[in-house]
Amino acid sequence: MIIAEQKSLEEIRRVIAPYEKVLLLGCGTCVTVCGAGGEREVAFLHSALRVAQAKSHDGVHNFSECTVKRQCDFEFLDVLEDKVNEVDTVLSLSCGIGVQVVAERFPDIPVLPGVNTSFMGMAKEWGVWDERCAACGDCRLAETAGICPVTRCTKGILNGPCAGTKDGKCEANKDMDCAWILIYKRLERLQQLEKMRRYYPPRNFRVIPRPRRIVVRADVESGGDNG
Amino acid sequence: MANSLFEEKLNSNEFLVTTEIGPPKGADVSEMVHHIDLLKDKVDAINVTDHQSSVMRFPSLGGCLLVKECGGEPIYQVTCRDRNRLALQADLLMAYSRGVTNVLCLTGDSVDVGDHKEAKPVFDLDSVQLLRMARELEAGKDMGGNELKGAPQFCLGASVHPEADFIEPQLIKFEKKVTAGARFFQTQGIFDLESLKKFMQYASQFNVKILAGIIVLASARMAQYMNDNVPGIIISQAIIDELANVEKGKGLQKGIDIASRFIKTIKEENLCHGVHVMAVGREGIVPDILAAA
Amino acid sequence: MGNKVKDYKLSQTREASDGHSLIPPCQVACPLHMEIGKYVDLVAQGKVIEALQVIREGNPFPSICAYVCTHPCEDACRRGQVDKPISIRALKRFAVEFGGDRMIELEAETAQSEKVAVVGSGPAGLACAYYLRKLGYPVTIFEAYSELGGMLRVGIPRYRLPREVVDTEVQRLLHMGIEIKTNTRVISIDLLFDMGYKAIFITVGAHQSLRMGIEGEDSPGVIDGATFLREVNLGLKPSLGQKVAIVGGGNVAMDAARAAVRLGAGKVSILYRRSKAEMPASPEEIEQAMEEGVEAMFLVAPIKMKRGNGRLNVTCIKMELGEPDTGGRRRPVPIEDSEYDMEFDTLITAIGQAPQISEDFHLRLGRGSTIQVDPVTLTTNRAGVFAGGDAVTGPATVTEALASGRQAAFRIDDYLHHRYPLPEKEAKETLSGELGTETIEMIKKIERLEPPLLPPEARTKEFKPVELIYNWETAVDEARRCLRCGMGAEIIFQDKCATCLTCLRVCPYHVPYLDKWGAIQIPADQCQACGICVAECPAKAIILRKPYDRRHINEELEHTLKSAAQSKSKQLIIGFCCQYGLFGTGTLAGLWREGRAGIWIVPVLCVAKLEEEHILRAFEMGAEGVFIAGCGERCSRENTAFWVLQRVEVVKRVLSQIGLETERLETLNLRVADDDISESLDNFTERIGGLCLASVIKEEVKR
Repeated sequence: MIIAEQKSLEEIRRVIAPYEKVLLLGCGTCVTVCGAGGEREVAFLHSALRVAQAKSHDGVHNFSECTVKRQCDFEFLDVLEDKVNEVDTVLSLSCGIGVQVVAERFPDIPVLPGVNTSFMGMAKEWGVWDERCAACGDCRLAETAGICPVTRCTKGILNGPCAGTKDGKCEANKDMDCAWILIYKRLERLQQLEKMRRYYPPRNFRVIPRPRRIVVRADVESGGDNG
Repeated sequence: MANSLFEEKLNSNEFLVTTEIGPPKGADVSEMVHHIDLLKDKVDAINVTDHQSSVMRFPSLGGCLLVKECGGEPIYQVTCRDRNRLALQADLLMAYSRGVTNVLCLTGDSVDVGDHKEAKPVFDLDSVQLLRMARELEAGKDMGGNELKGAPQFCLGASVHPEADFIEPQLIKFEKKVTAGARFFQTQGIFDLESLKKFMQYASQFNVKILAGIIVLASARMAQYMNDNVPGIIISQAIIDELANVEKGKGLQKGIDIASRFIKTIKEENLCHGVHVMAVGREGIVPDILAAA
Repeated sequence: MGNKVKDYKLSQTREASDGHSLIPPCQVACPLHMEIGKYVDLVAQGKVIEALQVIREGNPFPSICAYVCTHPCEDACRRGQVDKPISIRALKRFAVEFGGDRMIELEAETAQSEKVAVVGSGPAGLACAYYLRKLGYPVTIFEAYSELGGMLRVGIPRYRLPREVVDTEVQRLLHMGIEIKTNTRVISIDLLFDMGYKAIFITVGAHQSLRMGIEGEDSPGVIDGATFLREVNLGLKPSLGQKVAIVGGGNVAMDAARAAVRLGAGKVSILYRRSKAEMPASPEEIEQAMEEGVEAMFLVAPIKMKRGNGRLNVTCIKMELGEPDTGGRRRPVPIEDSEYDMEFDTLITAIGQAPQISEDFHLRLGRGSTIQVDPVTLTTNRAGVFAGGDAVTGPATVTEALASGRQAAFRIDDYLHHRYPLPEKEAKETLSGELGTETIEMIKKIERLEPPLLPPEARTKEFKPVELIYNWETAVDEARRCLRCGMGAEIIFQDKCATCLTCLRVCPYHVPYLDKWGAIQIPADQCQACGICVAECPAKAIILRKPYDRRHINEELEHTLKSAAQSKSKQLIIGFCCQYGLFGTGTLAGLWREGRAGIWIVPVLCVAKLEEEHILRAFEMGAEGVFIAGCGERCSRENTAFWVLQRVEVVKRVLSQIGLETERLETLNLRVADDDISESLDNFTERIGGLCLASVIKEEVKR
């Protein structure tokens, strides 16, 4: 699941300032789940922007709102044709993917991001989200007992804990578990500690030249037009 | 054969004493030079820290060159926090070419604990990989497998944390560092000699020299602060209590007493191969400690 | 409330506000299917007049039921699985008394030409006449006794049902234009048809006491329960002597025993052939009788009686319990050679009653001399003749009789219009089932509050009503215990649901779950309708089955804002206040009426349902301060304060980003009750006054 965070009201107000008619566009998938840009958040942002406007007496904006099931596919955006044509800008509360897909679908309308796309993760509990995957393109989870040191170790190191770990927590953040302590404990439990004794060479960053593309279709070759 | 004076001493059975100097935040190195002069003849080598605690400073390699210029024996601390593998290799070549051959290979503190929290943490390599990379350079190849014109030679060291609250994974990593080519280890601060003894029982099976880290504390408050905020520091309650029980203004003296007592004991009981004295910003007191020990 | 309250309309259309709500178990159990959940909730809000309106829609004589209903609803109440059922009957009595039921005047106009005769004026007859009259029929009631009411008057003792209550209802019926012929025993149905009645409802009750069939049953000093109660209820004071025995274990036996106590009998004993557990009388009746000094002798039956020396010699035999009978109760079996003698001054038999139907009616009778009817249409073997009440069922409850009378009225209407009976309303799904153990665990246990009773010593001297009425606060608190069965959350937009599991994570009662196909389910029979998931759902995919609450907040807020915009006061402070606690008990309503300048109250049906948007809306419309007042520790819910504070924090974050002081948003009386809510409010308004910001009030309020 992609986890995002809504931008501050100040920043949102700043980016929409030049436009009168603003469509607040929610996304019904990942950002709904993480409470950053679903229908509820769109409505709340709408209210907040109106209050801000009432307070500052610069009532220039005219807001409308809409939430589609997903912004990251053109087909879900077709229903927006009329709505988008009536506004001066679209503030997309989707992840960075959605923002770009909307922009690509409606080339004549400025599309602005309303959230910061943060990471890929899971809900630890209600209202708490933890990063779990860095999309490094070179998965090592088989060797690390299913716990990703690239993501969950603040240094992303591969050969064991640094000396900063204390009480099983990370030196960078005392609330954060030390990934390597977790890995050690789980490998011990699985009786696979030999995996930790092994030397792991530096990571291969070549697997992530940006932008990446994955093709699963048999009839199309990889690479080529990435635009 | 030895690649440095320090390595020669490592090969002897001498009790080794090293200390460390933090370079200044700024271009004025006069105080650092003063400290080098003060210490160079009283210790076997001087570490120069590499943006310790991720606080941006004068570079450690530059500091090492100063030590050299002053006639001292530097140990070049290299961390992986700020440089990718290209920069790290280049810096090591540079160091060797200037006669800086003692290299302490470290992972480096997290960017979050320092004064540039928004910087990009690099960590392209970790400490074990850094050691291996240095060995590859010695063998005349860079990490891409390309031939080097002129191979460097180093005396490689690393750190170990005998007082870590969860020791087993630290020992695994220690062994990896030994295998990767570390000749000597400077430990994190030792505040309980029992844990040092225990660690040495285990470490003596490896052909490496262990220098016990001695941190000089100036007060109970400082001790508590370091405990809470400095990565890799675990100060025992006994030490904090000892510091807390002295009159006001006598804290530093007590800290010096404790440090010299530790050094003396380690030396007399032959607990390990030497000590590494860390005065954390009070480099000037190191001679007093050594004198008292 | 000096003015007389106008009649309530006979409501046939369901309010749209019911949404998808399911029929709760209490309503299913009620013979009249009254909307119990609805009026209990209204009492909890302190809205007694509205509660009474709901009660009157489902019950022609709520004041009578308020005294004597045997409340099967309480037996079905699922609060009983948590601690104890809601005290529904007592709450109805509260609503009837405080809502001013006796002030209500009923009116009816004749809209139909067909005359209908009702034979018998017990609860079934009165209810039938009431509904027929409401439907516009000319109705005549024929009553053999001098006064209307049947068992209400001659069967039930006054300490349970004061006569004035029956009188009020009778007066109302007269006012509706119902014709009454008392002291008139109907001897022939044909005669009624000859008089022009097009339909006839026979509801003559079951007044004939069953005989024990033992030797000496007709001795002086033996009297049957129905006759005894009739004499007592008509104001006679039968002489009983010192020692009185009552044979039987039903409500009539209890009534007879307690009446005997009140007539001055020194010692009153109940002889019952089974054990206490099998007694058909309602538990509180038994308990109150015991409190008043009635003694019960179990597993004993009289087999012979003889009058001698001015006393009654009763030979009894001991019994033991054998195999269960068809009704599931264990059958009493005499123990051989266990006879013994006892002496009493009077023995009252109360082992059951049966109808006594004149042969001249030419009606087909069934088991126990009851009239045979079609259970749906209530038609007898004779065209145009309907029957109901005890005459059909044998002795039953007042509420069942009322239900029977109402059914008869609508079926007679169908008959006279040559219609087949239609289902009364679209069949709604009923809710049943046990609450899950995990859910039960999480539901706050709240003690059931009983209305006060007269102390036993004060009761036995006279025939005054034993049960007193709740005071306002107790009634509100008791009503708040209701679990709102069937009104819970529902994922109405499955396509919107992102299966984010928020509902599952925020539910205090662990109700939502993931089914094996990976869809979220919120089982209606477990949901406690707290509304937290509704407010937290990021996809806005959940609503309450009874969506009244959310709409209520929106409507009240808009209404308040409009009124505030028209008012001249210079500051505007909006308070979202728990309708159940502060407002329900009148505390905040009092503050409001005191006319504190610029404070406008938006009542909320539990502040946990208040959403961030509502709070922002208040600010948008120019509120300079907003406060949210809960109901302190009295909240019947879990986690209310937590969720309110969560949302307050979110709004405060926005306020500070906009440049409004976060002090403008305050919570009062939330987790614990403020010592003095009025003082807290004063402090708050003072602070708002002190903030001295440029006014954010807009010139006019517009959407």
